[in-house]
Amino acid sequence: MKWSKIAVLAIVGLSLMVWPALAAKVVLNRNLGTEPPTADPALAEDTTSVEIIENMFLALVDMDEVDMHPIPELATSWDVSPDGLTWTFHMRNDVFWVKYDPKKGEVVYDLDADGKPRPVTAYDVEYGVKRTLDPNTGSNYAYVLYIIKGGEALNTADPGAPNFQELIDGVGVKALDAYTVQFTLEAPAGYFGQIASMWVARPQPKWAIDAYGDAWIEPENIVTNGPYAMKTWVHNDHMVFVKNPYIPAELWGGGNIDEVYAVMVVEASTEFAMYLNNELDTSGVPLPEMDRVKTDPVLSKELVIRPYPCTYYYGFIVTKPPMDKVAVRKALSMTIDRKTLIDQVTKGGQLPANTFAPGMIFGNAALDPRIAPWALPEELGGWGYDRAVTEAQQLMAQAGYPDGAGLEIVLMHNVSEGHARIAQAIQAMWAKAFPKAKFIIETQEWKVYLQTLVKTTPVENVPHVYRLGWCQDYPDENNWVHEVFNPTVGENKTRMSADDPEVGAAVAKFDELTRRAGRESDPEVRKQLYFEAERLLVDEIVAIAPIYYYTQVVLNKPWLQRRWHDTPHWDTWILDAAAKKKATG
Amino acid sequence: MVQYIVRRLLWTIPVLLAIMTATFILAHAIPGGPFDFRGEKQLPESIRKNLERKYQLDKPVYVQLGKWIWDALRLDLGPSYTTRAQTVNDILKRTFPISFQLGLLALLLALCIGIPMGTIAAVKQNTVVDYGATFVAILGVSIPNMVLGPLLIWIFALKLGWFPAARWGTDYTQLHLGFFPPITSAKFWLHAILPAFTLGTAYSASIARLTRASLLQVIREDYIRTAYAKGLHSRRVIILHGLRNSLIPVATVLGPMFAAVVTGSMVVEQIFGIPGMGKYFVTSVTNRDYPLVMGATLMYSLLLVFANLLVDISYAWLDPRIRYD
Repeated sequence: MKWSKIAVLAIVGLSLMVWPALAAKVVLNRNLGTEPPTADPALAEDTTSVEIIENMFLALVDMDEVDMHPIPELATSWDVSPDGLTWTFHMRNDVFWVKYDPKKGEVVYDLDADGKPRPVTAYDVEYGVKRTLDPNTGSNYAYVLYIIKGGEALNTADPGAPNFQELIDGVGVKALDAYTVQFTLEAPAGYFGQIASMWVARPQPKWAIDAYGDAWIEPENIVTNGPYAMKTWVHNDHMVFVKNPYIPAELWGGGNIDEVYAVMVVEASTEFAMYLNNELDTSGVPLPEMDRVKTDPVLSKELVIRPYPCTYYYGFIVTKPPMDKVAVRKALSMTIDRKTLIDQVTKGGQLPANTFAPGMIFGNAALDPRIAPWALPEELGGWGYDRAVTEAQQLMAQAGYPDGAGLEIVLMHNVSEGHARIAQAIQAMWAKAFPKAKFIIETQEWKVYLQTLVKTTPVENVPHVYRLGWCQDYPDENNWVHEVFNPTVGENKTRMSADDPEVGAAVAKFDELTRRAGRESDPEVRKQLYFEAERLLVDEIVAIAPIYYYTQVVLNKPWLQRRWHDTPHWDTWILDAAAKKKATG
Repeated sequence: MVQYIVRRLLWTIPVLLAIMTATFILAHAIPGGPFDFRGEKQLPESIRKNLERKYQLDKPVYVQLGKWIWDALRLDLGPSYTTRAQTVNDILKRTFPISFQLGLLALLLALCIGIPMGTIAAVKQNTVVDYGATFVAILGVSIPNMVLGPLLIWIFALKLGWFPAARWGTDYTQLHLGFFPPITSAKFWLHAILPAFTLGTAYSASIARLTRASLLQVIREDYIRTAYAKGLHSRRVIILHGLRNSLIPVATVLGPMFAAVVTGSMVVEQIFGIPGMGKYFVTSVTNRDYPLVMGATLMYSLLLVFANLLVDISYAWLDPRIRYD
């Protein structure tokens, strides 16, 4: 062999070795919108924290992105006892705890005292659930785990109590072996699969938390097990996440993003400017730019509007006259022109709401014209606004307020430009339908406002109509009609009760339905029960006027292909780095 | 003079204690507590109790106040309720240097533009130059930062592409001694120009107007006429004799202005996505994050007290007639 050939071979060989290092990383530039308050699964309560946790920590189960049923993640299968009280999850044994090593510049296994990688085990799940419920942890979200036996008893105990250790041991979560974990529930809960997918029930690394306390979530301390590991967290500025190379292929979502560079820009118009400047691959749209984005030939193609599991609604305080008359409540709900409101004011392609829970919640009846058809436009099978107004005017006259004469209604919302625009539009719609009535808008600062709305505030200090929204904690009606409105155990800001002279019977029925549906395990029966509960709430008791179902309005650069989950799963996104380079130069 | 400074410094102790007590009482007097709600959901009583126990909010108010003051004296400002892995010390240590850099640049810019503009306007009183300068000053005062910021981003970042659209050119991990920015880095300056200009404009305008008004009074004084009569060059008269004296009102506003500007501006920091401490003056209150409300206010008060002390000292230099003995 000639020297020249050897040289060529050597060069080829060398470049083959260096090639992977030279291949550019695929980097996603994303805006989190704010500093995540935490990365601790036991403490998270906001969408930003949940997003980073979702991408760093696996759950026993994930949610199907279409119909929200539980699908395997850490657990490959699970069984439920016939009485619905015992749930046993069988976990895979090939997922390991990892961390980012800044010296090596890569993600490495987190090693135990013997130098072996630590697998994610059922013991980590048991520890995680118990830690969330431990009152010393101070988790805001611990109450969603109260369905687990002994959960509430532990969470509400005094840490100094002599039986405290017994309470910890008494929680109905147990690792039967390293890869089998069993939950015992207080009552059958058809929605427990959804609870098991939540961040508060994820495995947590005891050794890291014991060693570093509250600071275990800082990048130098954190150990994780999900598709991405935390490389950098410069508070209030940016975070960097890198792909976890040790995650089993089955649990990787099929995307190609090696690194996520996430900034924390709060201002929507600045985020939008950074997107236009190609500094971000995806962003939201500030409301004032909406019309421009929709008509712009380039931006309109990059625009995605998709439903998002939240509902915007007005509640009625049913004990405050004249709102104690169901006809008045119904007439007011009927005369909200939801379609016009969406087209002219909110502009985000939202859907008019005729029920409380939106379309992607298990058990929902959204847009079903058998419930409150007057809230829906004709093209969705509803009455349309003209007919709704005519009928509403008759109802109001029957209730003793022809044209609204003698009616004085206070509508309150928390201080915000967006809420003010909506309230003014609805005030105008009401004033047009009932010209002799007086509609007054009042506002309060957020926390003061929430304090005003609690059930113990004297009725003379609460408004007739209040604004609120609701977003899912977990995608099941139990989190909606039951937790928010059940008259005995829910929040029930509307103050409806079974003693109500007009709708008392319906309230009692609603109370019974939402309790029964939570304990029922047959999915079909649950759906029927929730359908009836929604109908009672919106159409018969008329405790609330649902206004619209939220949408998520997103701009995506053409080189970014996203799969849609309510909480982004970065490991399912594909970024065409060559196309990006070509387009940005 | 030394005696005066010592006396003033001793006085800051009761002043700061009074401010701390007042902030504590006011913060706790706002309706609603830090752990009443999660988003729109009222937290169960049990959860609220766990959290209040964890942060010792279940103790009597005077115990909490005493603990806070005692801890603050030992430079421990307590935990933050909203970002639990970080203490108030962490937050201020990370955000104050950034706000300080931005604020100082803005203030220097304001002085460099404001004083010459005010001087020229005063010297050329009632001419086109004066009207032009006054017009620019009024414009500067009137344009709110939330308009000017996005406008500058649109022109200089999106259309011309000269500067990045947002963010700060350095972060707390890259500062020298945890405080000083890498001033040799082009990235730092490119990111600094638009926000510093946005923040500085309004201040430069008010400095210009103040300088003009004050200088107009001074140049009618007898000693200025004497200086002219001696045959001094008019430039020398204005700059050396007139301007120095007329800067007393400017120095007076500069004290509080300095304290306000280096502790950050919520609006400018939000528009440019700058990780400064300005937003905490607002968000800590809306979140009822008591330790952060009190920590941020204490920081501001400290700066204000010392800035005012410096201003008082500077009077003696600006006007030799002022004595502190």
